[in-house]
This record gives sequence, C-alpha cells and structure tokens, in this order.
Amino acid sequence: MQRFQFYNPCSVEDALNFLAEQGERSKIIAGGTDLIPGLRLEEIRPDFVLNIPEINPFSGIKEIDHSFWIGPTTTFTEMVESNLLSCSFPALVRSAASVGGPQIRNRGTIGGNIANASPAADVLPALLAHGGELELQSKRNGKRIIPLAEAILSPYKTCFRSDEILTGIILKKLEPGTRSAFEKLGRRKAMARARMNLTLLLRLNHREEVSELRIVPGAVMPVAKRMDRTERMLLGKKPEPLLIEAASKTLAEEMVEVTGARWSTEYKIPVLKNIFKRMMKQLLTV
Amino acid sequence: MSKEPGKTLLKMRVNGKAVEVMVNPTWTLLRVLREELRLTGTKKGCEQGDCGVCTVIMDGRTVNACLVLALQTDSKEIETIEGLGTADQLHPLQKSFIKHGAVQCGFCTPGMLLSAKALLEKNADPTLEEIKRGISGNLCRCTGFAKIIKAIQNVHR
Repeated sequence: MQRFQFYNPCSVEDALNFLAEQGERSKIIAGGTDLIPGLRLEEIRPDFVLNIPEINPFSGIKEIDHSFWIGPTTTFTEMVESNLLSCSFPALVRSAASVGGPQIRNRGTIGGNIANASPAADVLPALLAHGGELELQSKRNGKRIIPLAEAILSPYKTCFRSDEILTGIILKKLEPGTRSAFEKLGRRKAMARARMNLTLLLRLNHREEVSELRIVPGAVMPVAKRMDRTERMLLGKKPEPLLIEAASKTLAEEMVEVTGARWSTEYKIPVLKNIFKRMMKQLLTV
Repeated sequence: MSKEPGKTLLKMRVNGKAVEVMVNPTWTLLRVLREELRLTGTKKGCEQGDCGVCTVIMDGRTVNACLVLALQTDSKEIETIEGLGTADQLHPLQKSFIKHGAVQCGFCTPGMLLSAKALLEKNADPTLEEIKRGISGNLCRCTGFAKIIKAIQNVHR
C-alpha cells in the first residue's frame, strides 16, 4: 500500500473542515470493503484517508414526515435488521441482504455503495427505483440535495465535489399499495458480484391498470438507470401476459441500446426478459 | 504534514485484554493481529475479503480483518480464535467441530468458528438455511461444508 495519513475526525464539522483543506488529496473511508482492496492494489493513492464511521450523526435510519433518512455509514446489516426499512422498502432491504457475505454486510455501508459507484453495486439500482435523493454537505457551500439519478456520472465516478461528504440518503415514502421486488443473479449464492439484478416497483389503480412502474436493471449497464420506454409501454394499461411479453422485449432492447452488443449480450437478453416476466408475475399475484 | 508519516498509538481490546500498539496507517487489523500481537490463529488468505479465513468479531459482529484498517479499530473490542477456548477448555463449537470431523486442513476453521459463534449468539437455534447463510462468507477449499454445518447444527446435542 502506498503511504497515507489517517485522520479520525471528531465531528461532522471537523470532517468538513479537513476536506475543505485537503479534499483533493483525500479519500473518505466508511466500511472500507471497496476502498481497502483499491488501496492495496494502489489503484487509489490518496495522501489522506478520512475515517467517518465513528461520526455518530452519520448512522441510523429515521422517519421524517413523508420520507425516510438513512445515514451514510449505516451498514447493510443494519438495513436488513431495520423494521422501519423492511416494512416500507422491502426490495431495498432485499438488495442490501444480497451484498457479499455477513462479514461484508457488517462493514459495508449504503453511503460507500453510492460513493464508490461500482456498476455492479447491489443497492444502487434499488435506491434509484425508489427515487432516492442524496444530501451532500461542504464547508464552503453548506448543504445541497440532488437526485441519486444525477449523482453517478460513469463507472466509479460521482458528481461529488472533493470537499463534500454524503451526509444522508433520503427516500420518499411509497404510495400505499406499491409493490416492489428485487432479484439478483450471481455466479453463486453468496459472495458473488452481481451479474445482473433487477428492481421493480409497481402500483395498480382500482381498474387494475398500471398507475406507476419503475424498472431498474443493475450490473448490466455502466450506470444503472430507469428503463423509461418499457415503463411507458405499460403505464395506464392492464398488465396482460401478452403486453408483459412485449414489454420484456423492449426492456432487453433498451438495455442493449445502452450497452451495445457484447460477448455476454446473447446470454443477458433472455435472462433479463425472463427475470422481468417472472418478477412481474410475482408482483401481480401478490 | 509529512509524506512519510510515523506510527500512531492504537488502543483496543483483544480477547478481553486492553492492548496498546504502535501502528502504521496503512496496516490492516489482520497485520496487527498476526505480526504485532502474534495472534496467528487468524489466517491470512485472499486479502480481498473473499475467503473469510481472517474473520474476527469486532464489537459483536464478524468482519474480515483484512478489510479493516488497524486505526479504524480504535477503542473497539476484538475477539479472535485465541479468545474462543483454551486447549483444556474448548468452546462447545470447537468440541462439536472435532466430534463431527469438521476440520480437514484447518485453514478455514478459525474463521468458520467465529462466524458460527456470531450466528449462534444472535440465533440460538438456526435452521439449515440460516446456518448456510451465516457461514456464506467463509470458504472451505477442502469443501468440507457438510460436516461443518452438521457440527454447528449439533453443537448443543
């Protein structure tokens, strides 16, 4: 590992002051499950490592009016164990439960999953489907809130400024009756990097027509995003099997438009179509 | 601040004892345990968080010691395999592993035992699925999983 200095801030203010001075030369460490292998391979060579898990206001899950606030250093295990989250965002909790193994979930954090911006991040697509927003803070500019969908620019690159810290993740409560599902496909059950995952959010109106649909495949595109065209195909219509079949085709086309044809495309097209159809079927029989 | 930083004093508790050790900022918990404290029961495997042989318990939760910077463990409580039992007084899990032949080459055993301990502390009577999930971060390259699972299932029988 290249040499670096370790800074353990005693408060949010202390951390922000430090980044205002040394942000360009620093890397923030939370759980370290992505950062430490990167440091070891010298893919990242910071002069300073800023340790944030000990800053109390950065962890925990709170219900505030019509939203939930999740602290950035909340671990995947804490998300899985949270009754608040399990009741309100079951698909998000399933995505957190699919991360690595117990040791990784005990250490890895939701904020780290976002800030590292890996294309194979397990929790990012689920957060996107839920319309997550990020609260960022810096000494110079104070607080700003941005949609997660705008935060990830390219693989491993976010729009966070070097003097900023992610200080919270905000999720608006879902409309009553919203159903959600998450599936992950890895080479094995545990410790697997996602080959593909899929998050669906679905709500039907009293006529059994689709009144809301969010589809976010993960790990198949450089940056996960909602599949608008497929969503629009189903909106306002009854989700009959033939329409779902057609939508699954459009979904695969939308994915290929983003990724281009690759060696794995022939495998991914039928798999994505089938996972989508299976999950829609599950959601419609709830 | 200089580019060549010196060592920093780390204070933590290891197996119930207060420990003070001078560490370099780049050192991991694994390195401190094995090379500074000479607690070599915690094994060094992939060093990427994939194999779980360096599993220790930190403040009640299992972690891969290779994925924690030593200075992140300041004032934490660490439990390693050396704290689990003694040669005269083995932990019930250790007895069960021996009884069920759950040890082959032995390299994954310390990590397996600590994952099993953490699992049982949360859930005294886990189902087969829960046991499999509980040790899913620990690889046994001898592939002796069946006996390891049996040993955990039958620890109190």
